Amino acid sequence: MIYFDSAATTFQKPPTVRKAVLHAMQTMSSPGRGSYPHAEAAEEMLFHCRSLASELFGLSSPEQVAFTMNATHALNIAIKTLVEPGGRVAVSGYEHNAVTRPLHALDAEVVVADAPLFDQEEIVRGFARAIESGAKTVICTHVSNVFGYILPIEAIAALCREANVPLVVDASQSAGILPLDMRQLDAAFIAMPGHKGLYGPQGTGLLLCSHEVEPLIEGGTGSESLMQAMPDFLPDRLEAGTHNVSGIAGLDAGLEFIKSTGIDRIRRHEQILLKKTVRHLEKIPDITFWRAKDPALQTGVLSFCVKGKSSFDVSEALARHGIAVRAGLHCAPFAHRTVGTLPDGTVRLSFSAYSRAEEVDAFARTLRRIAR
Amino acid sequence: MSFYLFLARSITHAQEMAKVLEQSGIYTKVRRAGSDMTERGCGYSLEISQTRFLQALDALKESGKRPVKVFFVSGGKRQEVAV
Repeated sequence: MIYFDSAATTFQKPPTVRKAVLHAMQTMSSPGRGSYPHAEAAEEMLFHCRSLASELFGLSSPEQVAFTMNATHALNIAIKTLVEPGGRVAVSGYEHNAVTRPLHALDAEVVVADAPLFDQEEIVRGFARAIESGAKTVICTHVSNVFGYILPIEAIAALCREANVPLVVDASQSAGILPLDMRQLDAAFIAMPGHKGLYGPQGTGLLLCSHEVEPLIEGGTGSESLMQAMPDFLPDRLEAGTHNVSGIAGLDAGLEFIKSTGIDRIRRHEQILLKKTVRHLEKIPDITFWRAKDPALQTGVLSFCVKGKSSFDVSEALARHGIAVRAGLHCAPFAHRTVGTLPDGTVRLSFSAYSRAEEVDAFARTLRRIAR
Repeated sequence: MSFYLFLARSITHAQEMAKVLEQSGIYTKVRRAGSDMTERGCGYSLEISQTRFLQALDALKESGKRPVKVFFVSGGKRQEVAV
């Protein structure tokens, strides 16, 4: 199979990830619950993973790293901490339902900082207007999961700092792919999945915290057990119940892979593949695709449509030829509304460190046949 | 045998303190702490030898990762120490 759906989940993982998951299942029990070697092994691994994340993402302490089930879980914690029911919130026109559905559930007044695709200046102006209009929180994706568009998160963070408005960054499509530094952004929260650009298993995620936080669930933490209120310190405040130890062990190995490979190297690899894909698509009739003029504004994610064919038909045809892509709205109707690709959506290609140039060539040959 | 126990607010805090101390050449043991020490239920502490106590305390103060409480243990009796 040619796997080009890494924006959903990176399917090919470093071998060390699989080994770490198995090793954890064979040697680790519940962390924070016992004084015997299996519990201590789990505790040490969790701390190693927190420390690595803290180092990679510019936190001052591993205590600021909370383990979650995925980015959606992390975003829900951040959003439900900061947004009052009915409160005014500014978001980009590229948000995922992981952001917009919790806001809908809170009946929040959502101000969309609309801007054309890849227009950096207009989107910053949009956020400035939204903050001036009284938005109490800003939530912004770092990268559009549909178009790979890299939003000017540093400029948006600067606006938030100036106005003293807390910022939540959805790093679902940027963690492990672009540099991301909590100290530099001074965000309240950064949410990320473990199973995409960090190459961990599904069922893992991280919430990086620089703000007081409210737990989404309550329960045992192995600490302050006499007290009925959740601990007021991190990470325990957010980590009720037994951890996904084997998953986190895999995430730890994924973070080691990112650290040893280097984010810049992975990014360069994906940019080369994207450039190659574009060269192919330009030669196939009846294909529309969305590509930033400045390659610095796009990750290894590219959306396209085939004239006269639905995105689902195209993705199914590709799947029959052993090529995995994603079609439809990608859980991001805001992005499609902004770009004008509703109601059918797009077909999305997304690369990883394991994608290869010859796979791009094979994809292009197949697409040419399908598009006829 | 006499030693000190540095009470942590969580296992992660205990591990952070242990890491700071390790960087100063002080090797410690993470131990569970009961309600009688924490007054709030289960917790964690670090066992520090008498000879490294002051050095350990200074290193933690400098790093901003202070213990929640400090106890001196001797002859099976434990006493909180003001630091």
